[in-house]
Amino acid sequence: MAREVISTGNELSALGAFDAGCMFFGGYPITPSSEVMHEMSDLLPTVGGKFIQMEDEIAGISVALGASMAGTKSMTATSGPGISLKAEQIGLAFIAEVPLVIVNVMRGGPSTGLPTRVSQADIGQAQYPTHGDYASITLCAGSLEECYTQTVRGFNLAERYMTPVFVLLDETVGHMHGKAVLPDLEEVKASIVTRKRFDGKPEDYRPYDVPMNEAAVLNPMFEGYRFHFTGLHHGPTGFPTEDAAQCQFNIERLVGKINTVAAQNDGLDDEADYEEFMMEDAEVCMIAYGSISRGAKEAVVKLRNDGIKAGLFRPIVLWPSPEKKLKEIGDKYKKIFVTELNMGQYLKEIERVTGRRDFGTLHKANGRPIAPLEMVAKVKEMF
Amino acid sequence: MRHTIRFTGVGGQGVLLAGEIMAAAKIKMGGHGLKTATYTSQVRGGATVVDITLDDNEIFYPYANEGEIDFMLSVANVSYQQFKNGVKPGGIIVVEPNLVHPTEEDRQKWIIVEIPIITIAKEEVGNVITQSVVALGITNEFTGVLDPETLKEVMLSKVPKKVHEVNNKAWALGIQYAKEAKAKIGM
Repeated sequence: MAREVISTGNELSALGAFDAGCMFFGGYPITPSSEVMHEMSDLLPTVGGKFIQMEDEIAGISVALGASMAGTKSMTATSGPGISLKAEQIGLAFIAEVPLVIVNVMRGGPSTGLPTRVSQADIGQAQYPTHGDYASITLCAGSLEECYTQTVRGFNLAERYMTPVFVLLDETVGHMHGKAVLPDLEEVKASIVTRKRFDGKPEDYRPYDVPMNEAAVLNPMFEGYRFHFTGLHHGPTGFPTEDAAQCQFNIERLVGKINTVAAQNDGLDDEADYEEFMMEDAEVCMIAYGSISRGAKEAVVKLRNDGIKAGLFRPIVLWPSPEKKLKEIGDKYKKIFVTELNMGQYLKEIERVTGRRDFGTLHKANGRPIAPLEMVAKVKEMF
Repeated sequence: MRHTIRFTGVGGQGVLLAGEIMAAAKIKMGGHGLKTATYTSQVRGGATVVDITLDDNEIFYPYANEGEIDFMLSVANVSYQQFKNGVKPGGIIVVEPNLVHPTEEDRQKWIIVEIPIITIAKEEVGNVITQSVVALGITNEFTGVLDPETLKEVMLSKVPKKVHEVNNKAWALGIQYAKEAKAKIGM
């Protein structure tokens, strides 16, 4: 049975993690994400899970990675400044293929920026949070329900693709307090993905010896399957190598297991990668995600009341971007309007995919939300 | 029908919880309620604004549209001045007169009602923390949006049992003062 709750986005993200089987949280409090951590500190001990507040952001992700290496579903939550600090360990998670869910409740930046205010300026950071080549999976919640469902999905994708997954909330969605209808718990439990494991003889175990575009098969540590975790390029058993062919293969596989697979299968899983709202007969297509999409939906309704047929396209999986759909939109709609709470970070991706540069836009970076009427006025300028 | 209500104060006054209680009561009544808050990085003393949107239908944009707010209650001048313009012309603004100082122009534009919320909580209820519950009683008496019994029930569910009595008193005083104020302005 669906569950109706009254809660906040941050608390629901924690509940999603809990229901997805997360048994370890390591982190450090930071506005506006701290409530994710508070909630995990309440939930985890009830089932024998472990919660630890570390001395800083770096230690927070480090213990979470360690827990995941030991086979435990694990997460950390922070905001943009925390991601900056965690960048090095995020790189380790990418190259060593350690699943981890990283919730980022976005606030104004750069640096300490605007601690209590809303922003969507970590979109680019989520795509390339650390140096080197890799492909990121980034989900973006636009409602209270999605704070829950996208966190569950984050765990499933992390385990399936053996990679860190970003779940982006923003201050508005994270702190918004209201009603959410959550999916049936049994259904959620039935959807849970757990990482593959190797059951052969320990001496035959080669965790990183997998074909192109496939994820490593990492057994939990301390179960007799010997291998090595390193940030260095590594061969089949995880020990360092500088072999040219191996290094090239490693990176092609890291990128391919996400980007190529998503392109070939039209997404990374069976869940919705985007939402379309009143798009069918629209003469102008608005594009917005996260909390800004909520104002955009209201703008769509207001514009229609004023006789302009507007619709909204809302990406949920930001990275890898829903390229096929974006291309379709670029080909279909003459008028496209992009609005974001940054200076145009996703606009660049939309431009890249569609090849167009003629969008109506509304971008803000002052920590304030974008009101529907501001969008309405800007869209009307396109007519 | 949509109702938008704004509470403004400074950090630490409890306006955030009051907003959550209103949203939760509307949801309990079968509708939709959303509370959002905007505050500064100062822990105490920074201007805080809470927007409460109550609707029978789904709410997309979670903040009040500026100029469309039906009712505002303010217990701090800094946030009153900063956020008053969200209230629609002719809308009601309840202020704590010892702390909030509306201009003559404001009194032309809106119905400004003075109720000494903090003094009531401090001296009549005997606990300054109950100011948010006094505010809740006042707000519902003026707006009439929520079923008072449901609202009171949700309020009591959010506070420890040992302080139920004092909060009941704060609630009743809020309603009483609001009724008197309404009579005075012929509402």
